[in-house]
Amino acid sequence: MMSLLQQGELASKLEGISTDLPWLLPEITIVVTLICLLVFDLIFKDKKSYGIAAISFVGLGFTFFLLSLQWNQVTQLNLFNGLLKLDRLGILFKFVFVIALAGSFLMAINSSKAKKDFFQSSEVNTLLYGVLLGSSLMVMSSNLLLIYLSIEVVSICSYALSAITKGKKKAEAGLKYLIFGAASSAIMLYGMSWLYGFTGTLDIASQEFILGIQAIDIIPLSIAGLLTLIGLLFKLGAFPMHIWSPDVYEAVPIPIINTFSILPKLGALAILIRLSVGMNLSAIDWQLWLGILAMASMTVGNFSALWQKDIKRMLAYSSIAHAGFLMVGLVANSQSGNEALVFYGMIYALMNIGAFFLIQLLENKTGSSLFESYKGRGSELSWLGVLIVIVMISLTGLPPTAGFNAKLLIFSSLFEAYEISQKPIYMLVLIFGLINAVIALFYYLKLPFFIYLKTNGSQSQLTKHKPYELIMGTLLIVPLLLLFFRSDWLVDLANSINFGL
Amino acid sequence: MGNLLSYIVFIPLIAAAVVLVLPKKMESSYKWVTLAATGFTLVLAIIGILSFDKDLSGFVGSESSLQLVEKTEWFSISLGSIGSFSVDYFLGVDGINLSMLLLAAIVLFIGAIASWNMKKKLKGYFGLYLLLSSSVLGCFVALDFFLFYLFFEFMLLPMYFLIGIWGGPRREYAAIKFFLYTLLGSILILIVMIGLYNSVYDPVRTGELAGYEMTSTTIEQIQALVKSGQISKEQTVKSFNMIYMADNGNYIPGSILDNSVIKEVLGQPARWMAFLALLIGFAIKLPAVPFHTWLPDAHVEAPTPISVVLAGILLKIGGYGLIRTAFIMFPDGAYHYSWLIGFFGMVAIIYSALNALAQKDLKKLIAYSSVSHMGFVSLGLAAFTIEGATGAMYQMFSHGLISSMLFLIAGVVYDRTHDRLIENYGGLSIQMPKYAVFVGIAFFASLGLPGFSGFIAELMVFLGAFNSSHVIGAIPAWMPIVATLGLVLGGGYYLWTFQRMFLGQFWVKKKEWVPAMKDLTPREYIMLVPLVILIILFGIFPSLLLNLIENGMGSFIEHITASINP
Repeated sequence: MMSLLQQGELASKLEGISTDLPWLLPEITIVVTLICLLVFDLIFKDKKSYGIAAISFVGLGFTFFLLSLQWNQVTQLNLFNGLLKLDRLGILFKFVFVIALAGSFLMAINSSKAKKDFFQSSEVNTLLYGVLLGSSLMVMSSNLLLIYLSIEVVSICSYALSAITKGKKKAEAGLKYLIFGAASSAIMLYGMSWLYGFTGTLDIASQEFILGIQAIDIIPLSIAGLLTLIGLLFKLGAFPMHIWSPDVYEAVPIPIINTFSILPKLGALAILIRLSVGMNLSAIDWQLWLGILAMASMTVGNFSALWQKDIKRMLAYSSIAHAGFLMVGLVANSQSGNEALVFYGMIYALMNIGAFFLIQLLENKTGSSLFESYKGRGSELSWLGVLIVIVMISLTGLPPTAGFNAKLLIFSSLFEAYEISQKPIYMLVLIFGLINAVIALFYYLKLPFFIYLKTNGSQSQLTKHKPYELIMGTLLIVPLLLLFFRSDWLVDLANSINFGL
Repeated sequence: MGNLLSYIVFIPLIAAAVVLVLPKKMESSYKWVTLAATGFTLVLAIIGILSFDKDLSGFVGSESSLQLVEKTEWFSISLGSIGSFSVDYFLGVDGINLSMLLLAAIVLFIGAIASWNMKKKLKGYFGLYLLLSSSVLGCFVALDFFLFYLFFEFMLLPMYFLIGIWGGPRREYAAIKFFLYTLLGSILILIVMIGLYNSVYDPVRTGELAGYEMTSTTIEQIQALVKSGQISKEQTVKSFNMIYMADNGNYIPGSILDNSVIKEVLGQPARWMAFLALLIGFAIKLPAVPFHTWLPDAHVEAPTPISVVLAGILLKIGGYGLIRTAFIMFPDGAYHYSWLIGFFGMVAIIYSALNALAQKDLKKLIAYSSVSHMGFVSLGLAAFTIEGATGAMYQMFSHGLISSMLFLIAGVVYDRTHDRLIENYGGLSIQMPKYAVFVGIAFFASLGLPGFSGFIAELMVFLGAFNSSHVIGAIPAWMPIVATLGLVLGGGYYLWTFQRMFLGQFWVKKKEWVPAMKDLTPREYIMLVPLVILIILFGIFPSLLLNLIENGMGSFIEHITASINP
């Protein structure tokens, strides 16, 4: 009798798995593409580049198509007995990931240096698909085990990516990344084991977990929370786990940085959103923690960015600061705060793709990413210069760019939270964050400053950019302006997410 | 006619696109495009003023006090728990911004003529100049806070490049200093903007949403319903409308900036803090002492036409912003801080005049005199009297004309020698008699001689400030008394400069300058003569302008004094 019952349970579980499997079609597509890339590389000997590029893009296109089918069907689904959660937050972020990766491939095609790495053999693309797979799982997972696994998928692919191209700097960056990452993963895993021990469940979205966490004393919970947070902050690239990012950004090719700066970051953010639901109800003042971390990230990122001589390093610190701004949405702990955060995340991805694409175009011509080498190039870079100004203004968060709307929404949700609870930390974060925008202006304007305001030292002429490069650049920048005027388009998407608050 | 204000705002923008598209071969046509666009906006602005019904007056918190209104929904975002907020494309004029619109159109036109001799990177220059024109004009007529802030911020970028690329030797420093200072101010404004839209609702849309027929229901009825809780907080539609923000009835009960309950932020009443943030934000732009230090740098380094626009219009946005937002929305805060505003206005008048006295560079002298004259705006506003407020407005208008002329004059000598040091010139009136006449007019107008527009403005400010202590008790009488010293000092530095540069034997520092010292060219006459005519016209017939603004300023004072019990 017992065994029969168990068999029945097992059967229903197995059946559940097979019925849930279609929901994973986008991820399955990613895996299939990944395998195709590997096999293709093995079968053909040379002149593989067109094939590899075609497979990479087709895979992304198909994933995008499948995701858009899911968008209308799903509001919230538990898959595989709660191991995965498919909701609109995840799907929305997956859209962003696909777009970001497509951006990376486009950059690689445009780049004289990275082209070889990306398309002569398939390793880099395979690993990038690995990052995509991991991040897609990150945004779906609310189970501690799966969170850890998906983070590791992303991490291992990232370590390899940062060291795969040759060069001493890359090896150093790769090693730094690996050691730092391995340590923070281990710490996070330890923290998670505490959480599991306290609550007896792995599912952080379950009622059991939320009730369990409320019953824990403040000190052990603080330790567990802090340890778990460390791993997430590492992926988020936020203070105090940000130290790796400038070195990695400086060393690896721009298309790969583009992926690093968007996919793992938003993935970690999605996990943080899910974790915060429970943590906000617990004994520790989670909002105070996040608020302090957000302020520290913004400030450290901004002040370090001020002194950089290299554009890529500057953008690395800027992404640390942006991680802080993203966390502001979590501090508010409300539906509107999370919506603003999702909106900010989408705009951040768009801005980063645009910025890296343009920097890539610049680097192609001079082979350098130092500010110095663009002194007085204003007349040679006329149109590209204008695009750079727009994207930098958007990163600063000034109108008329979508970066302004993103900051406005995120800070107004914080203000709203302040109005309701009058907690001083909200006001502090608000003032701190906005003052940080002024500091940010200084370094974001540095590139336009060098291009237009400095006078040219060198006599060498830059070759002109090809029209199609400029058209692509323009197409990447136009959404930033358009979404300022019609930000409701994206906000409506974010509106339909249920955060389970 | 229906979309007059839109045409005024967007014609320069379209012209900027035209300049951008025109090929480089047609470089010489850029200035004509710019001139045509600014000229056309000037004509439209005059048409607008002629059609303005000056007898119409009304409560500043009601849309019925506006004319030439254009209002359509731009976008609205619904955000879960806080209901929804809507942003309107909302333009209009009343007695408060009408004169500023006219001033902006005049100065931008003069600035376009002054740009005639620009040599380097013409496409960029005229493109940015037109962008700047568009955002300045938009800033004065926008009545939705979001739209206003868009124009307000958008001004910074063209200005940064105009100073930074076409400026003098220290242009990089001056440009970034200007940008950072102003951005810091606008961040403070942004914080208040966020607070305001979280606190203010749109009674018309809220009524519609709650199912009331807005043709038969009045705004007051909706306000009563919201106050009594019959329309709940979640049903309200948040608004960026600056006109609604002026009406205390439109604040959501219990919200942080609501007038009926005092909430505290950082230990101070929230409304006072909001006023203070707006005050500092706009005082940086004005600029009021002690936030003025960016101005001398920016002025000295900027090319002549940009100095003209900067002094002529951009500073007025500070004053206009104070009136439109800080004073109208937070009259209680304004009254609380009026002593401080008046005091710093007085300090600005004296301290900057003393600074001007010590300057060796002609442009720096004019820059400090600008700060000194903008002190009258602070003083007039702080007085809380009709004479003071009207005087402050008049001073903004008159100083826009006079300071434009002063910077053009400084440009004349700089064009010829590329040197602005006062001590390097002497007896110019012998070599350039007609120039000397114009300089004399500009200096006398600026120091407040009767017959020129500046006299009317300063007189009204003093009247208002003297009356203040017994009418409403906002500022004590010793403030204007001390401030009159500024007039004496103004006379001092202008006359002394005139004496050093224009009287006595003709002498210039370098011999090679002598052939360059020719009298005014026809183009310079075209710029200077209209300004002289206007300055004298508004000095002799002040009613020309006062008729337009008195109703607006009257209801402004009525509104801000209504909430105070002296």
